[in-house]
Amino acid sequence: MLVLRPVELADLPQLQRLARESLVGVTSLPDDSERLREKILDSCASFEKDVEAHGAENYFFVLEDLTTRHLAGCSEILATAGYNEPFYSLRNRHFTSASRELNIEHGVPALSLCHDLSGHTLLRGFHIDAAQVRSAHSELLSRARLLFVAAHARRFSDTVITEIVGYSSDEGHSPFWDAVGKHFFDLPYIEAERLCGLQNRSFLAELMPQYPIYVPMLPQAAQDCIGSIHPDGQEAFDILEREGFETNSYIDLFDGGPTLFARTSGIRSITHSQCGVTQPGLVIDARGRFLVSNDSLKDYRAIVADLDYIPGQPVTLDTAMCEALKVTEGSPIRLVAL
Amino acid sequence: MIVRPVQITDLPALFTLVRQAVPGLTSLPADEERLANRIRWAQRTFAGQVDRADADYLFVLEDDEQQVMGVSALTGGVGLREPWYNYRVGLTVSASVDLGIQRQIPTLFLSNELTGQSEICSLYLRPDQRQGSNGRLLSLGRLLFVAEFTQLFGNRIIAELRGSADERGGSPFWDSLGRHFFKMEFSHADHLSGQGNRSFIAELMPRQPLYTCLLTEQAQAVIGKAHPNTEPALKILSAEGFAHKGYIDIFDGGPVIEAPVSAIRTVRDSRPLSLAIGSPDEKAPLWLIHNRRLENCRITCAPARQVGNSLVVDRLTAKRLQLQPGDSVRAVPLLDQRQQAVAA
Repeated sequence: MLVLRPVELADLPQLQRLARESLVGVTSLPDDSERLREKILDSCASFEKDVEAHGAENYFFVLEDLTTRHLAGCSEILATAGYNEPFYSLRNRHFTSASRELNIEHGVPALSLCHDLSGHTLLRGFHIDAAQVRSAHSELLSRARLLFVAAHARRFSDTVITEIVGYSSDEGHSPFWDAVGKHFFDLPYIEAERLCGLQNRSFLAELMPQYPIYVPMLPQAAQDCIGSIHPDGQEAFDILEREGFETNSYIDLFDGGPTLFARTSGIRSITHSQCGVTQPGLVIDARGRFLVSNDSLKDYRAIVADLDYIPGQPVTLDTAMCEALKVTEGSPIRLVAL
Repeated sequence: MIVRPVQITDLPALFTLVRQAVPGLTSLPADEERLANRIRWAQRTFAGQVDRADADYLFVLEDDEQQVMGVSALTGGVGLREPWYNYRVGLTVSASVDLGIQRQIPTLFLSNELTGQSEICSLYLRPDQRQGSNGRLLSLGRLLFVAEFTQLFGNRIIAELRGSADERGGSPFWDSLGRHFFKMEFSHADHLSGQGNRSFIAELMPRQPLYTCLLTEQAQAVIGKAHPNTEPALKILSAEGFAHKGYIDIFDGGPVIEAPVSAIRTVRDSRPLSLAIGSPDEKAPLWLIHNRRLENCRITCAPARQVGNSLVVDRLTAKRLQLQPGDSVRAVPLLDQRQQAVAA
């Protein structure tokens, strides 16, 4: 059975493997053990912290096979984007060009650097083994974060965003980067993304274009990248889109990938999740597949389970499920249909 | 040959000339009625009846048989009614000391900086007359006029040179920039501009600075590059002290060249002299001579010799200037000493 739980320091070697396999555009997963170690410690402290209002906390989860101890994936929730360091994006907005005298009016889209997405809760660092792509466990890895938000709402903003990795070629070229960022950074795309994961991000402020970039002036290949998704980022997008997330006018400044946005009140796994109590027993007539979490903080666990669930009644969980979720009779749980 | 203010009777000759010149000369309308209006307006300008903001000094080059051979113009001050736009080619530096990155990115800043300066424009000389000192007379005559009436003009004189074009006559600069905001061909925008819609067009352009690295390579290559056709004009004006100081035309990226009035050779070296009639020998240098009149302005180019405070010219020259011996003229050698040395 695969269970989602908070990361621990002992996970470092496996986490680095996941980081190495992750898309270059997932900058929160740098292939650097020192940086990952810091991230783990930071996450442990966040789970321990008594939080009054959401701040710099970062909650880092791993998906572990309880039999083999193999880590099949990881994901994160940053409580507040832009809290400790600026969170940049490009806003794609139409500028209206109009002349009454010439009877001309049309909008010209332009990209402007902004901090508009600061303050939202940010889902990031999503990576799963190729073998688990488009499985129930992929859903678990992504959506268990939403169940965590539901259980600990005080720790998060009431708006949630995520950035989806944009298109780049198999050779690691991003047409968007080549047409925009490269002029200002003088670095190849991969190197820029790598630095972003490792460095203090102040270099972004130093190098990024401060004036708008008019979209029609970009080469077609770069224009086509605006809001486009890397094939390997499609699943992360699809899962959250089904959750009620929507694209908006913000894109990633490196690869042009889209941003997804939702209010917590409109996120399916949050609003449709049900609270129940544990009833250890035999699951005889499993009629539905659910994501189940234990609503804990530092002992947070979530699994995929086939259950015979009747709203308002105790939820029957078998021994393996109880052990995976670290629950006993009467423990509160939260569940949502897969 | 003389340079004199245009008259309404010049309309047929001027119309013929302008039609020959199109499409290189957009600031003169190839439309008889609009051309007539411009001539009437120029007459009012020379009569001192219009504000500097609207002043349009239109000159013609005329031979001794009263045939119009060329045209040139001078404005009182640009941008004093409708805004006048240029791009200033500036620089943005993108640098990170930590990463050892330093990028210098030429950047176009929309500017009204040249507001109030006077523009020389609309010069066209009949191809069969492009010889001798005709081109200089037609072009520099305007500057001598400025020297005489500095109070009617700005502190600087500017000239917008036509930008570099591709082999089809299109503008690579326009194709990479203006086109995205107008969705029309350069020739059409240029036509609208010539019809006096210049500032309307400019108002469709983006207000924010533009990184040149985002333009096409072809467009970047023509920033501040003049069309080869403008080379003769550029040569004459460069010798006068005109230089490109970083302003370009917002449509075709052509250079705006400029000079402070007081630093223009023709202005600086010109002096009031008393006209004397004699026979300057054949080796006498050519002078540019103005009769110091506004409405009855006459400017010519002739061999002359300075003797004390007098300028000795032949009788025909005095006749061309409509002057008598003892009348005051403003004059300057047509070429500066260095050029004369080269010419010799």
